[in-house]
Amino acid sequence: MYVYLPIAEISMHIGIILGLGGGVGFLSGLFGVGGGFLMTPLLIFFGIPPAVAVATEANQIVGSSVSGVLAHMRRANVDFKMGGVLLVGGVLGSSSGVILFKFLRDTGQIDLVIKLSYVLFLGIIGALMLQESIRTILRSNRHGPKRGKLHQHNWLHGLPFKMRFRRSKLYISALLPLTIGAFVGLLAAIMGVGGGFIMVPAMIYLLGMPTSVVVGTSLFQIIFVTANVTILQSVQTQTVDFMLAGLLLFGGVIGAQFGTRASILLRGEQLRGLLALMVLAVCIKLGYDLSIHPADIFSVELLK
Amino acid sequence: MICELRLKLILATFWLLLLVIPAQAAKMVADLSQSTVSITGRFHGTDLLLFGALSGRDGDDIIVIISGPPIDIAQRRKANLAGIWINVDTNIWKNAPSLYQILASRPLSRIASSETLTQLKIGTSNLELRITSEKPEINIPMSSDKKLSSSLARNMAATGLWPTQVGNVSIKNGALFRASVNLPANILSGTYDVRILQFRDGIVLDETSANIYVQKAGISALIYDFAHSYSLLYGLFAVAFAVASGWIAAVAFKRN
Repeated sequence: MYVYLPIAEISMHIGIILGLGGGVGFLSGLFGVGGGFLMTPLLIFFGIPPAVAVATEANQIVGSSVSGVLAHMRRANVDFKMGGVLLVGGVLGSSSGVILFKFLRDTGQIDLVIKLSYVLFLGIIGALMLQESIRTILRSNRHGPKRGKLHQHNWLHGLPFKMRFRRSKLYISALLPLTIGAFVGLLAAIMGVGGGFIMVPAMIYLLGMPTSVVVGTSLFQIIFVTANVTILQSVQTQTVDFMLAGLLLFGGVIGAQFGTRASILLRGEQLRGLLALMVLAVCIKLGYDLSIHPADIFSVELLK
Repeated sequence: MICELRLKLILATFWLLLLVIPAQAAKMVADLSQSTVSITGRFHGTDLLLFGALSGRDGDDIIVIISGPPIDIAQRRKANLAGIWINVDTNIWKNAPSLYQILASRPLSRIASSETLTQLKIGTSNLELRITSEKPEINIPMSSDKKLSSSLARNMAATGLWPTQVGNVSIKNGALFRASVNLPANILSGTYDVRILQFRDGIVLDETSANIYVQKAGISALIYDFAHSYSLLYGLFAVAFAVASGWIAAVAFKRN
């Protein structure tokens, strides 16, 4: 059965949409990530206009993050104060991102910027994750985990506007989470992702937050950033396809439940290693597509 | 007196004309199985039947040209810069048909000469389209840049909106014709012009036209109109829906 997507203005088989939602949902449940970095390129691959894919994916991530954050709230794994500061930055960053997105779309460079951002950030994050998980796997095979220092102090801790974050056991400058929030928000708006894959490492390595609260807090602020992107894109470009987002969400929440159950079968570092390989695969695929001679150097876009 | 005489003369001419015209050029008539196409929630393209009557003889040909609502098309060219392929320039084709399809009873080259086809603007290479680009300000006709215009036709063919294959028209005894019109799933809403030409010995004998009205309907129309007319409300609604479904999912799966 085909479903006509009224905003994307194409028809797609319902099996493909539910399959994409379910498949990416499974992986996001398995690895504890949002999955936007997989879904947006896949939607574009299946013929959804990039602008619609990015805006619609933001809408879907709102739903999947709500469902994820509720599970973390039950275990008190959300630092609301830290999340609050991050989301102030995130809303500012993503608002600028939506404006930048429209500008790039008008000049015809949005595809390039989306793909380059993917190659760059997925490449960096994937390589770091792979390195870390291989090291952990090798180490645990020999000695068992070593304990590191709780915090490392550097120039970042000398910044003004210090704030106490009790849940994260931190006393740091509010400028730091504000800047990180803004930067990730900007990228999230352009790339059509929640930004968890950048936010989580930034929280651990730059802010020094305890790993237990990282995912819950990241999900909490992603809800607001993606909600902001959804509303701004609806107003500015009318590219949020409610039909597509709803169906992806339906497949996604079911897939995520199975993914979460399957994640018990694997160890943490094995999961991270697999996730790193997947991230790198998306990065290499997009990078390769940019570098090879295109089948046709001309392309068309119908302007409405 | 003179007035009355003139009136009689006009009437006489009129009756004479009525007697003569049908014998020389009988009007071709055409209709569609469906003149309104609704893009509903399950739309995946559609086939229409175009049929009609002509007053002709064996060996007459018919060419049908279907053109969709005019639209501006941005054509972008990629070039390799520092190892990656990026869009380097954009040309805008003004008021191009969003759909362009040709149906014919025989291959076009057997029906009329290429000069005739050019004159009648039949075929994508004979569309009188113009390019405008912001910098430098140019306004060139389609025929003057073969490379750009053939790329446009090639790219549009790939979208399925300007199919290169000429569809089939069948004629029965030079009196009845029928053709199947295929509208792809990615058509735009608007008015589609159907031009039907009757050819004999390479020249146009008669011409008629019809319209197809394509519009979004049902849930598609509802969502599209909501998104465009009340965009802020739509955005808020989309967020509220996502929050609600995420919350319901979390609650539903907690029980298990």
